[in-house]
Amino acid sequence: MRHALPATLLSSLALVACGHHDSQSSAAAPAAAPLPAVRYAAHLVAGGNAAPGATLQNPHAGDAAVAKNGALLFTTMNCDGCHGGEGSGWVGPNLGDGRWRYGGTDAEVFSSIYYGRPKGMPAFGSALGAEGVWTLVTYIHSLAPPEDLPTEAWADR
Amino acid sequence: MSRGALVAVLTLAQAGAAHGAAAQDGQWSMPSRDYAATRYSPLADINSQNAKALHPVWTFSTGVLAGHEGQPLVVGDTMYVVTPWPNVLYAFDLSREGYPLRWKYRPDVSANAIGESCCDTVNRGDFYADGEIVYNLLDGHTVAVDARSGRELWKTQVADLGSGETVTMAPLVVKDRVIVGASGGEFGIYGWIKGLDLKSGKTVWTAHNLGPDADMLVHEGTFKAPYDAGPDLGARSWANDSWRNGGAPVWGSIAYDPELDLIYYGSGNAGPYNPEQRLGDNKWAASVLARHPADGALVWAYQFTPHDNWDYDATGAMILADLTIAGRPVKALVHFDKNGFAYTLDRANGRLLVAQPFVHVTWAHSVDLTTGRPVLEPSQQTGASKGNVKGICPSLEGGVSPSSPPAYSPRTHLFYSSTNNLCMDYTASRASYLKGTPYMGVNSPYSAGPGGYLGSFMAWDAASGRKVWENKEPYPTWSGALATAGDVVFYGTLDGWFKAADARTGRVLSKFKVGSGVIGNPMTFRAPDGRQYVAVYAGFGGDWALLSGDTRSDDPTDVRAPADFLKDIARHTSQGGIIWIFGL
Repeated sequence: MRHALPATLLSSLALVACGHHDSQSSAAAPAAAPLPAVRYAAHLVAGGNAAPGATLQNPHAGDAAVAKNGALLFTTMNCDGCHGGEGSGWVGPNLGDGRWRYGGTDAEVFSSIYYGRPKGMPAFGSALGAEGVWTLVTYIHSLAPPEDLPTEAWADR
Repeated sequence: MSRGALVAVLTLAQAGAAHGAAAQDGQWSMPSRDYAATRYSPLADINSQNAKALHPVWTFSTGVLAGHEGQPLVVGDTMYVVTPWPNVLYAFDLSREGYPLRWKYRPDVSANAIGESCCDTVNRGDFYADGEIVYNLLDGHTVAVDARSGRELWKTQVADLGSGETVTMAPLVVKDRVIVGASGGEFGIYGWIKGLDLKSGKTVWTAHNLGPDADMLVHEGTFKAPYDAGPDLGARSWANDSWRNGGAPVWGSIAYDPELDLIYYGSGNAGPYNPEQRLGDNKWAASVLARHPADGALVWAYQFTPHDNWDYDATGAMILADLTIAGRPVKALVHFDKNGFAYTLDRANGRLLVAQPFVHVTWAHSVDLTTGRPVLEPSQQTGASKGNVKGICPSLEGGVSPSSPPAYSPRTHLFYSSTNNLCMDYTASRASYLKGTPYMGVNSPYSAGPGGYLGSFMAWDAASGRKVWENKEPYPTWSGALATAGDVVFYGTLDGWFKAADARTGRVLSKFKVGSGVIGNPMTFRAPDGRQYVAVYAGFGGDWALLSGDTRSDDPTDVRAPADFLKDIARHTSQGGIIWIFGL
């Protein structure tokens, strides 16, 4: 199911894309932060001590209204063309299985969308801006994995 | 290497091919075995009397898990195999026990191509010509490799990965031209086909499959469409210049008629899948195009599905056969389209002779032989304003997949093809073009067609347009076909059975459960030991890697539910690329 992107959402995204970041999203604009900008909590650390770095937080985490906008954005930006309807997996991996090829923290999912990934995930940072990417992250994190995910059984059916 | 040394190596390779241990009839040097794309071999050691004794004699894992379409080549005493991405080329020495490798060639192929591929990272094979193996890399390159040494001779970028162009097809070499095209009908590409110089790899001509005459290499006086007239048909039949992102990719096989000096190939779907964004006939998407190979000039074109509403690519094989129709000899072109009709055309001019459905068809009632146009069923036309249009047959997997090339036997005068018995509901929606991302606009769930089975393998009389026999299969059937002078035909099934059947009756003579579902094309050859063998790839994938993602076990971070119309395929097969060779 697809809908046209609401005009209000489009205009707010355009503002972000033009660099008019508000105070809330400026902390989340990686280009402005000094390196190393991000530390990924899920990564292994050689020697046991993680390098210093910020951890990005989704400013909209758990916000159902933002997640709903993210669902529209997911189709409008053609995310479903690769990841399937509701992110169920197609050319690109399933985003609703609670498992993450490049990590599932706010920072990691943000980074995957903003900068892209090397197996053909395009970078959407310039098309969406930080606010648009956080909107998608909020939607993707709202997708709940099924309980019986690891097991598929046929015997005696 | 100096130019002189290069020429010497090429000459040696040519000599090796010509005087190798295997006789010419035991060779398979191009994807469809011959220019007519018949996939027919004159070998008859394996015949309908002894085929029950067929058994595997050799296997080899390619090390790649994606869907294995295409087929091996055998030239002289060497077998050549191209894998899906990362497109490794293997050369096996058939003269030694165990068929050890002579060499393997591992090109540098961008991993970005994985995500820009609509339908798995497949490759449909290579072509041997003048001592070179020529094939395409998924990330948009064509390469030529020395057939003896495995050394790269040239590598040319032909496609723009960043625009959603990938290359999955096997090239066709005619004289000194290498003909290639790009996939990307789901990415809003401006579809094209190119002619490269075989010696240097340089691009000599580029012809688009849609757009203005100048882009299509339509020249006044040489182009004549059988049912259309006027300039710029490829642009005027698209409202609002929608041809610019209209798709019409090239990813199937190409045939060639040396007498007419014409290549024949099909163009893919019109894009996006929401047809209301591109009103008009959308020429020449979903069409067959005939061009001169030397300069690419378009000679004729015929559109199977005007204003494609259903993703009915016409990229399936164009098979050239000399048939007798109503008592008259005809130089025919036979094509089994995704849209469910089997077409027989006059290949000199593109005029339609026969068009009959080979699977259950609901989108059109028939094809009018006078106008060349389908007689549409109004309730089955799709578009964003029409909501959910239900029960369209065949599904967008096609009555047969273009990835599953049929075969033709001049002994039985029959064509042999896999089929899919699937229907779909189709909800189109407005698609937004964003370069390098999918440009589609559809939700299209599938269901079984009438009868409940999902596929078949059949024999077809293209002179009369009727089915002669059919073996129903529980799953969609996605392998290519092989016909032989032993009157045995071969095919594989999605659940992993490789079958030999009597060409005249369809009776299954032998079957063996290979290591994975079969979507590749069987081929046959005579090895240096003088015996006939049959080879086929196992390697489940293609669209099924997406639709039945529960068959995949290679990525713990990507776990998927079964397809609702195909719930138990993962019970019977899993991924895995393996070359199988069978003998008596």
